Amino acid sequence: MTEPKTWNPTINRNHLIRDAIGLGIYDCMKADPSVYLFGEGASMKMHFDCPAIEKEFPERIVTLPISEDGNTNFAVGASLVGVKPVVDVITSDFLFRTMDGICNTAPKVNFVTETVEEERTVVIRSENITFGLTTGQRLESLFTHIPGLRVIYPSNPRDARGLMRTALRHPGVTLFFEDRMIADADTRPEEAEDSGRDISFGKAAVVHRGDKLTVVSYALTLQRARKVIEADDGLDGCELIDLRSLYPLDMGAIRKSVRKTGRLLVIEPDITHSGVGAEILAEIAESPDVEMSTRPQRSGAPMSMIPASHFLHRDLIPTEEKIKMVIQERLN
Amino acid sequence: MLTIRLVEDELQRLCLTGEASDLHFSKGQEAISVGVCSELRSTDYIVVHHRTISPAIARGLPMNPLMAEILGKATGINKGLAGEMHIRSPELRFMFAFQLVGTCASVAAGLAWAVKYYKKEDDIVAVFLGDAATSNAQFHEGMNLAAVRKVPLLVVVEDNHLAGNVRPEFYLPAPIEKRFESYGMSATKADGNKVDKVMEAARACTEEVRAKGSPSALILDTTRLSWHKQGQRDVRSRAELDLLAERDPLLYEERRQGIDAALKSKLTETIEREIAGAVEFARASPIPKMAWMES
Repeated sequence: MTEPKTWNPTINRNHLIRDAIGLGIYDCMKADPSVYLFGEGASMKMHFDCPAIEKEFPERIVTLPISEDGNTNFAVGASLVGVKPVVDVITSDFLFRTMDGICNTAPKVNFVTETVEEERTVVIRSENITFGLTTGQRLESLFTHIPGLRVIYPSNPRDARGLMRTALRHPGVTLFFEDRMIADADTRPEEAEDSGRDISFGKAAVVHRGDKLTVVSYALTLQRARKVIEADDGLDGCELIDLRSLYPLDMGAIRKSVRKTGRLLVIEPDITHSGVGAEILAEIAESPDVEMSTRPQRSGAPMSMIPASHFLHRDLIPTEEKIKMVIQERLN
Repeated sequence: MLTIRLVEDELQRLCLTGEASDLHFSKGQEAISVGVCSELRSTDYIVVHHRTISPAIARGLPMNPLMAEILGKATGINKGLAGEMHIRSPELRFMFAFQLVGTCASVAAGLAWAVKYYKKEDDIVAVFLGDAATSNAQFHEGMNLAAVRKVPLLVVVEDNHLAGNVRPEFYLPAPIEKRFESYGMSATKADGNKVDKVMEAARACTEEVRAKGSPSALILDTTRLSWHKQGQRDVRSRAELDLLAERDPLLYEERRQGIDAALKSKLTETIEREIAGAVEFARASPIPKMAWMES
């Protein structure tokens, strides 16, 4: 439970998930000559993050200018004749720049394509690290409201690799997030190993079994919740569910768990207002076959911009202390 | 060109009866679609703006599924789900159409990149866009990408001097060709209302793009004789429209080919019969179905 006062990538080494995403792409590039990488600084990024791709497929790395929207639309254009692009938008905040490509172009092209031939495969990847006003905004919930997008957010390297393979092997448009605030030390050793299996979208994982409280989370807060639950015997009754895929949502797994526990807590790194947790609570409230013994609850980020002062970052996203407190409240 | 004109005339009537929704017509700009498409190979690709009816017909989309698409029926080329502004027919390499002005430029640049470097074909991509689209960031990002990556892209500018109902003084501070020059692209200008001139210029440009494998622009001066879209009134006066109508590409072509009234009416009759058949086909077709309709 010793968290540094601020999250600093220099002291919190965080390369496992990033490397796993690279290897997931590499797996697909090896098997499929139509997989290409597009993005600002794409070559440089592969040099550091996935030397295997740089070495074996340099001709499939397309370094593009700082023109995020143009880049996404460019990649969608390439997909029209069969290229399967992975577009790296780098920091999540740039997603706002390329909303046209992600929301207006890619899914609409696919919708119309579906009427005449097989859907196209397009992956847009982006990362989150809380840093400032326009660095690291959590925007995943926003995109779950756009029809035609699959929104994926892994919490560990094994899932990241398996989910990326699925994104590239099943036609459709995927927005693939990477949480740069999950440190390598947060990952359990077995989560760092590739399972060799692809992970279906819309399939949540039960990370910890229990029958007293259903805790649903993803990405950074999933890892924090896991540590809290595993460290304290008193919290052992929690059933922790990792969503992995925010759209499609695995409501079946959540309903099944809540039927058993009768209690629901969603912990999210994103702003709670109109967020993934709100959707889950609403779906559970509407489920005729789910009885709740207490009111469901959400815990997440406040409706706030990210201030520049790093002293304020710590409490923006639910900390381990906060998560422990909320879980204890719900258990009692 | 006459087919396009007559199809749009019929669709305009259907807009007024409510059978068609408000559509975007190319009246007065037909020579551009026809002239450029006639110079493309059947294996070349095209990407277009939101005025799709003219390029779709020029590219050879069959009348029945085109009409059914525009009238929202399941027998449409895209099952009635794409509509007038998003027609896609990969078979004819009519790759997509974009309602959002400018997006076609960056998408077409990526498509041209993939044709050259992924498919490794010597086909080219022709993208059609308006002069107003050259003010959009997607145009500039697309041209920058096309030039940097040296892609076989022909940018056809339908220079109708209008952005919807807005005049160039609000969006164009310098001649359009300067915009292309800044990306190191050559820009050819021609009269877009004279189909023979369009063909001549398009032939030279397609040859250049194909030979060099790099982008080039063709700026075609034209006149939009229809409203921006049906249902949105035009700011131009009757007198101004009458003056523009003197440049009607159909009039020019009739004079050039010596088509007299008798021949024109014979051609019109044949085409109108085909159009009436397509409208009947669409009317008799079922409405589209989607999965959510069952829930």
